[in-house]
Amino acid sequence: MNSTIKHILRFVCLLALQLLLINNLHWLGAFHPYVYVLALLMLPASMPRWVEMFIGAAIGLLMDACCTTAGVHMAACVAVAYLRPLLLGQFVQDTQRIVTQVCTATVGARPFLLTVATLIVVHHALICFLEAWSLEHFGWLLLTTLISSAVTFVLAFLYDRTQQ
Amino acid sequence: MRNLLQFIGKNIHLLLFIALEVVAFLLITHNVAYPRSTTLSAANRIVAGMNEAGDNIVEYFRLRKDNEQLNNEVCLLREQIQLLENQIEKQNEYGLVCDTAQYEYAHLGYRIIPAKVVDITTGQEHNYLTLNKGTRDGLKQGMGVVCGNNVVGVVSRVNEYFALVVPIIHTNINISARVKKNGQLGFTHWEGHNPRYVNLMEIGRHIMVEKGDSVITSGMTATFPEGMMIGIMDKVKLNEGGNYYDIRLRLCTDFRRLRYVQVLNYVYSTELNQLTDEQYD
Repeated sequence: MNSTIKHILRFVCLLALQLLLINNLHWLGAFHPYVYVLALLMLPASMPRWVEMFIGAAIGLLMDACCTTAGVHMAACVAVAYLRPLLLGQFVQDTQRIVTQVCTATVGARPFLLTVATLIVVHHALICFLEAWSLEHFGWLLLTTLISSAVTFVLAFLYDRTQQ
Repeated sequence: MRNLLQFIGKNIHLLLFIALEVVAFLLITHNVAYPRSTTLSAANRIVAGMNEAGDNIVEYFRLRKDNEQLNNEVCLLREQIQLLENQIEKQNEYGLVCDTAQYEYAHLGYRIIPAKVVDITTGQEHNYLTLNKGTRDGLKQGMGVVCGNNVVGVVSRVNEYFALVVPIIHTNINISARVKKNGQLGFTHWEGHNPRYVNLMEIGRHIMVEKGDSVITSGMTATFPEGMMIGIMDKVKLNEGGNYYDIRLRLCTDFRRLRYVQVLNYVYSTELNQLTDEQYD
């Protein structure tokens, strides 16, 4: 129960950070780190997969409403929610044991960082490409994706440090 | 049947994943060009209310910039008052002959509704602004939005309390434009990436234009009166085989600092629409 409240609180804080601060900073006009995805990435691994996907869909829809992007964040978040257990399963033997949250302290540094890095890139790439809805500026979209992902990853890494 | 149930049981997560993605893609295809409703957008009452609340906090940090902007506008208005006063004086001196050309602007018939930007995106290909005024303040779809004398965009969706605006930096909007010095007509097109620049299309190669020329609204549509500033020519290139110039404009509106805007309500729009509709009937 305590852990549920923590997850909700974290999501609210990340959402506020995303909407009030990060969306108002203009990173050279192009780079958009989406840190809110961290709330989805750190959910306990013992969670049933369908619950995780519905949470992903809900978070995505909420972000869509906030950014006027209609479905883009939803698609990206659902993909992340679907892929996360598969990726974690590659690194961690018994995922059901992780009932609090997924972080370095519970799954180990390498599995955590690899999973998070992959999923952040997937998430950001989907958002960039779906929002543009064309491949006209492929190179640019790729660059935006990579730099935004890097910024999000650094923030995720720093946040993870505080969870020791 | 049993096989089918078994298959579903085995792949339940994959199927759920596909179902949710299909919903998301339906939403995207339905809304990506222009939002069809305000419910799933930043003009949603809850989201816009949230943004407004956040804005109230951040507002204090921008007072200096806002003051500067207001000050500039006051100066401009003072100048105009001076001009009109001189006009009246002259009239009184020389009798009742009145130079109506000076009052042209007022006769164009635009009412101004001031509004505040509560949310804005600049980094996407499909950018939007949310304004804190809606139908109860008289806003309607298709009205022009300006900031002082600079073009911002066009109202796309309105609900009772908020409005969604498609800015000039949206890949699907073209605004009719005119080169100020020679009156040549063209239209704007945004390529994405940079919220500071738009392209000016269809200026033929026989026309003399150069860097630094001003581009204004054409007045060909009722959305904007003629003469609102769009941008200054920043790059002018003539391709070897092309019929048109490649022109890049530096926008007069700084979308990253946009705070207060004015919505233009064309008073005679009903009459105008009636006339054009009659023509097509």
